This record gives sequence, C-alpha cells and structure tokens, in this order.
Amino acid sequence: MLREAIARQRWWILAALLGLAVLACVPFVLMPFHVRVGQLILLSTALGLAWTLLGGFAGYWSFGHTAFIGLGAFAAGLFETQMLGTPFMRAQPLVGLGLGLVVGMGACAVVAGAVAWPILRLRGIYFAVAMLGVAQVLSELTNSIDAFKGSMGLVFPRIPAFGLRQEAVFYYLLLIATAVILAIAFAVKNARIGHGLAAMREDEDTARMLGVPTERYKITMFVLSATLTGALGVIYAHSLGYITTGSVYRTDFSLNMIVYNLLGGMGTLIGPMIGSVIMVVLTQVILGGFLNLHMFLTGAMLVALVLAAPRGIVGTWLAFRRRRRDAAA
Amino acid sequence: MKPAILELKSVTKRFRGLVATDDVSLRVEPGTITSLIGPNGAGKSTIFNLVTGYLPPSAGEILFHGEQIDGQSTVAIARRGIARAFQIAKPFPEITVHDNVRIGALFGRDGPRDVAAVTEAALETAGLDDFADRPAGDLTVGYLRRLELARAIAARPVLLLADEPCAGLNPAETDEICDILRRVRDRGTTVFLVEHDMEAVMRISDRIIVLDAGAKIAEGTPDEISADPKVIAAYLGTPEEP
Repeated sequence: MLREAIARQRWWILAALLGLAVLACVPFVLMPFHVRVGQLILLSTALGLAWTLLGGFAGYWSFGHTAFIGLGAFAAGLFETQMLGTPFMRAQPLVGLGLGLVVGMGACAVVAGAVAWPILRLRGIYFAVAMLGVAQVLSELTNSIDAFKGSMGLVFPRIPAFGLRQEAVFYYLLLIATAVILAIAFAVKNARIGHGLAAMREDEDTARMLGVPTERYKITMFVLSATLTGALGVIYAHSLGYITTGSVYRTDFSLNMIVYNLLGGMGTLIGPMIGSVIMVVLTQVILGGFLNLHMFLTGAMLVALVLAAPRGIVGTWLAFRRRRRDAAA
Repeated sequence: MKPAILELKSVTKRFRGLVATDDVSLRVEPGTITSLIGPNGAGKSTIFNLVTGYLPPSAGEILFHGEQIDGQSTVAIARRGIARAFQIAKPFPEITVHDNVRIGALFGRDGPRDVAAVTEAALETAGLDDFADRPAGDLTVGYLRRLELARAIAARPVLLLADEPCAGLNPAETDEICDILRRVRDRGTTVFLVEHDMEAVMRISDRIIVLDAGAKIAEGTPDEISADPKVIAAYLGTPEEP
C-alpha cells in the first residue's frame, strides 16, 4: 500500500527531495540572521508535523504538547551533564548528543505510554484539557524538585561545528529531523493505520464497528508523536545552550503547534509546513519591527483567518478546486 | 438442527429501572434474511447494540457460531465477522465514497483479502459505481443508506446487521435496498434486519421475529407472522371489549 502511495505521489516526493537539497544550501548563501529564521521555521515545521501525527491524523488535539519538548530537553540535559559529565562531553560531544537524544526520546515514550491509557479514553476537548494538565504537572515538577534543575537551569555542552557556524549546525540538525518526521508522517498517512486513523477522526464509534483497533492506534500515535516532539526538544535545548523550566515548557509552543496546523490545513502533511512558514515569517520578519503591536496583530490575523478559512489554506484550496470541477462538469 | 449463526440465550438488558430486553432468546439461521420487528421501544436497537458489543448484556449469553461473544469489545466482534449498517447513516463525510468503502475492506473481518477487489465488488453490489469519486457528504439520503451497506459489505461479514435501511425512503429506493440485501444473502452472508417498513419486511424475509415491550412474542415465516393475532394486537392494539 505504501509502495502504491509512493508511485502515486512521486512528483510530491521529488519536490520534497528537491526542496531538501535547496534548503541544504541555505547556510552557505544567507546571512546568519536569516539562517536563524530558517532554523526557527524548520523547528516549527517539525513540531507541527509531530503534533499532527496525533492531532491531525487521529483528531485528538493536544493542548499541552510542550510537555514533551520540556521532558525531552530536561531528560537529555540531566543525562548529558550529570551522568556523562563534562569531561566525557568534551571528548565525545556527538556521542553525547546521540545518547541524549535516545534518553530524551525514551523518557517521552515512557511518560506518554504511561498517561496514554487513562487520558486517551477522554475525547475531544476533555483530552485537550487533560494534556494541558500533563504539561502543567511536568513543568511544576521540573521547577520545584531541585534534582531536576528546572529553576537553576541546565547548561548544555557545545556541539562541534565542523568548520560551520554554530547556527548552521543546528540548522542542519533540524533539517534532518524535519525530513525524518516528514517521512514518518508520510508512511503513517499512507499505510493501513493511516486509513484507520482517518476513519477514527471522522467517527470513532463507527470506526470501531468496522473493526478499526482504535485504542491501539491512538496509543501508538500518541507515543510516536510524543517521542518525536521529545527529540525536537533535545535539539532545541542544545541550540539554546542553557535552559530553565520556562524556556522549554512554553504554552506558546503548545498553541503554535495547533495554529500551524489550523492555518495550513488539519490532517494534511503540507498544511503544517505552510502554516509554520507563514507564522514564522510573519511574526519574526514582517512584524518583527512592531514589537509593541506584534502579538496584537498576530492574534487579530489568526481570528480573521479562522473565520475566513476554517479548514486552513489547503482545505480551502481543495474545496475551491472541487467546486470549480463540479461547475465544469 | 444446523448450528445457528447467531443465538441469544435469555438475554436481558436493564438500564437502571428500565428493562429494554427481557429474557429474549432467538436464533438466526445461516443463509437467511431474518428480520426483527416490533413497535417503537420494543428493544430492537438494543439487541443490535448488544450483539455488536456496544453494550454489555445484564444477563444471558450471545453466541456467534456457537462461541460466546458477549463481553468482547466492538472491535473484536467486528473482526470475527459481524458488520453493522447504521440506521442513521454515518459516513465519513470528508472522504470519497470509494475511500469510505475501502475502510471496510482494509479492516472488518480478519483474514487475507484483496482490498481493491473487495472495494469494487461492494460498490457494485450497492450500485454505487458511478458515485465512487464523490465526497460522501454530497450524497442524498437514499444513496447514503447504500453507502452504509456498501461499507458494511466491504468488511466481508459473515453476519450483516442492517438497522432500518429503508427508513424514510420512497418505494423505488426501498426496492433498491431490498435488492441489495437479497444479493448479499445470495452471496452467502446472513442478514439480520431491523425494519419498520412492513411491506419490505414481508417481501424479503425468510424468518421474522417479533418483539414487543422487550420480550419476544412471535417467530415464524412472513405468512405465519402476518396471521398471528398476538402480532396484530401488538401493532394495532387489542380491540375493546364489546
């Protein structure tokens, strides 16, 4: 089934690979500031895609996905600095980062697996609110238990630059992460599980009557989404160099992951990519000069967009094309 | 006697004080269209909800191919080969008719299958070939019922539960649905039907079971049922004493 999907969408895949090649050249051409904007766009895209594995595909909107950014970041940070220690990290920084990724993702998988069973029994807004609570609890624990160093902060070891500038290193790490998450999302969407999730999103009880193992699918996607979000948290924390609770457990992360998908098109792959590019360019570049009005304008624009195009850019485009085709027929 | 495909043994379902089905025992024989009829509130939908595992019975046993299925999850029962077409059609409106039916073929009863072939066959059986590429949300009520049946057929059920497939349809549409159900039976799937349209029921049923106020009051062929005074009383009320 995946092979058919690859054959059917070969032009999209080719475009994605081409895009990847173009993006790989960016650090050699653009100014450091713009590379940093690129970094932010990639992080946002990857977060939007990781969120959509559960939110977009299964229709379970998490309002607290920053829980896994924070959890991944702190688990990796504590492991790298406390368990491995500074001398090891100086000698083997890449091995350290690799192990940090494994630990951060592992922590997210374990926590997601543990909370999945009780909270995925909740539907719709109740699940969203429960996730908000999970993020709040993890954030408070990190902040108030001294061993987690949430209030004091954690300093991350530097990653070697291989002759590149520091911002280029993280640009490439995030580019790889985005490509991997996009490939996973493509595979999931086009596999049997993807069709089952689509059915579940539309009507969970009907999907169950048709034999879709909804419980198993939900838990799988929740753990997958959490783990990939955790990996992004680990990379993000390294790019910051120093984190406290407030810098990785951020409500605006949770909200933005939803906004990218809403804006671009829920349940699609291209949606969160378009959404994140628009949001980052708008907030960082265009509105960057109006710091006072920035949040006000962003908010106002979001309200306008959701009112004008509730299905997002992709959904609106598809509906427009269908109407045109029907009118022609 | 051949083993029944579905057998309810003294099944009772209580909702707090209300007894929805009261000690109901019934059998659905393989290869038949068996209809379950009765006035509103007789417990017909409750029986479907019990058989599909959507609700657990308060007492009694439900056997499918002689194996107990009460207490199993909806998903497990669907994978054994019981599919249900809903009274209120519940399509996945955002996806096409073809993809709706394909979900049934991808999931449904366990075992190997050719998804594309099963989907095509189900679309054809339900007479939906021409609508395959339309979003399900665009269909009229009559075609939504067909989609509901097609999706259930694609799940390759051994037993198809059809919940009032003719409700609210005009005579021509009702005829179409009856033809689809006959085709399904003739291809070897047993049909268990709940329906209010008496004319349709009398025409296509091999066996009829009558419920009233949660209890079984009669069972037999269409001719026997239409002559049964208990059934007439249940539907029309007992004539007043002179």
